[in-house]
Amino acid sequence: MADLRINLAGIQSPNPFWLASAPPTNSGYQVQRAFEAGWGGAVWKTLGEPILNVSSRFAAVSFNGQRVAGFNNIELITDRPLEVNLKEIAETKKKFPNHTIIASLMVEPKQEKWHEIVKKVEAIGVDGLELNFGCPHGMAERGMGSASGQVPELVEKQTYWVKEVAKTPVIVKLTPNITDITVTAEAATRGGADAISMINTINSLAGVDIDTWNTIPHVAGKGAHGGYCGPAVKPIALNMVGECARNPHINVPISGIGGISSWRDTVEFLLMGATGVQVCTAAMHHGFRIVEDMIEGLNNYLDDKGIASVMDIVGKSVPKYSDWGNLDLNYKIVARINNDICINCNKCHIACEDTSHQCIDMLKAANGESILQVREEDCVGCNLCSIVCPVDGAIDMVELPNELPPMTWNERQAALGTMACDADIIKR
Amino acid sequence: MSEYQQYLQERDKIDFFIQKGFTIKSVTETLNGSFVDFVNEQTEEKERVTLHVATAEGRKYFSVMILKQQKGA
Ligand SMILES: Cc1cc2nc3c(=O)[nH]c(=O)nc-3n(C[C@H](O)[C@H](O)[C@H](O)COP(=O)(O)O)c2cc1C
Repeated sequence: MADLRINLAGIQSPNPFWLASAPPTNSGYQVQRAFEAGWGGAVWKTLGEPILNVSSRFAAVSFNGQRVAGFNNIELITDRPLEVNLKEIAETKKKFPNHTIIASLMVEPKQEKWHEIVKKVEAIGVDGLELNFGCPHGMAERGMGSASGQVPELVEKQTYWVKEVAKTPVIVKLTPNITDITVTAEAATRGGADAISMINTINSLAGVDIDTWNTIPHVAGKGAHGGYCGPAVKPIALNMVGECARNPHINVPISGIGGISSWRDTVEFLLMGATGVQVCTAAMHHGFRIVEDMIEGLNNYLDDKGIASVMDIVGKSVPKYSDWGNLDLNYKIVARINNDICINCNKCHIACEDTSHQCIDMLKAANGESILQVREEDCVGCNLCSIVCPVDGAIDMVELPNELPPMTWNERQAALGTMACDADIIKR
Repeated sequence: MSEYQQYLQERDKIDFFIQKGFTIKSVTETLNGSFVDFVNEQTEEKERVTLHVATAEGRKYFSVMILKQQKGA
């Protein structure tokens, strides 16, 4: 049995699986049931001045029979008084002293407001704080959430105010609704953040009802943008985690959030630099017990690889994540179709013929059977055929031996640049 | 002609001039591809040729030749 305990900026947790701040962590009843199910930690539903919510808050995007490929909400932070939440946090911590409870906080961007809530929350005993600079709707219109999370100076200043009084580690939760998340991540570290977490939800409109012309969801015939999350956002979140993890100016641990539904997703986030993960949509879709599979799967993965502690895989893929300009232009892969497995649906041929490089031929084998074959010299190794192929193992993307030495775009440009200088000297 | 055949032709021409002692002196990159200027420093008249390299593979190829040339220098 591998050691699944994590230490994120001094915050200890029995495993890397935390529930993200959201409806699953709304109350003591829920968080206690989650801990019983196996979750290592919970980030409490964001505390602040209790808000008013609308009815009809969620919508999901289903795609080709996959329910909840993406999830959209227009819910705000907690609508319960602070003292009620704090009482339940204290009770939960007492019952589960070894589990992690993080208080998520959001107040107006004023020093005294941050000081007040930090002191009140820390007085009842939490393991850390998470500053919600990410909620993209409602709160943002009041200058909070992503409205402050999109302004690096405000991220830095508010983090600094919190750090002035905080005794527990401070995690800054970042919004993805920004061009370059490393800018706000850096601002958080300048403000003294002990860790950063990402992502909060992405601005979204789940859909439009083509019969009533209402937005989905709508509130009495009117809609407003919401926040998108769930499996669809995982690649966006993973990139943002990776970008922060490889940035030399961001030297704090990362709590990874966004579309995580399985132990595999978790391993990917850990490899890409997250020290632990937070989950919301998957728990809302399948219930707290999904964590059982996540724990077992992660444990088996580590055991199979002979890795003693989950902390040992954190960041292992980060050195492999770089800029496009550092990729080898002479690395070459091509598609190979295994005719024994291929069912001749021709999807690869159509995809290649219509939208790629026209290099999959429909031929007749000696025995008269239809076969598909790749003209390797014309194949650019785009992967599209293997992506659209419905049968596992029917198309392999294989590496070709390097005909030319490795050369990146940056190396090429540097070489051409040197030559231009030489030419100038010769001309002069 | 397939793009691959066009690449082979471009590669052959690049190889041909390099084998004859030419070196790549400059490259002008345009919307229509690259114009690669070769000079033969070994000849007295410093013979010059310009090749238009249009295919992506061809443009990778002459770039590798420039890197080799600079490493060898
Ligand atoms: C209904 C709903 C309410 C949420 N409320 C909060 C919140 O109060 N505070 C917060 O920091 N994030 C909130 N989030 C964002 C989640 O914590 C999380 O960042 C996001 O859903 C991405 O994770 P996921 O893809 O696992 O759902 C909420 C998300 C949902 C779906």
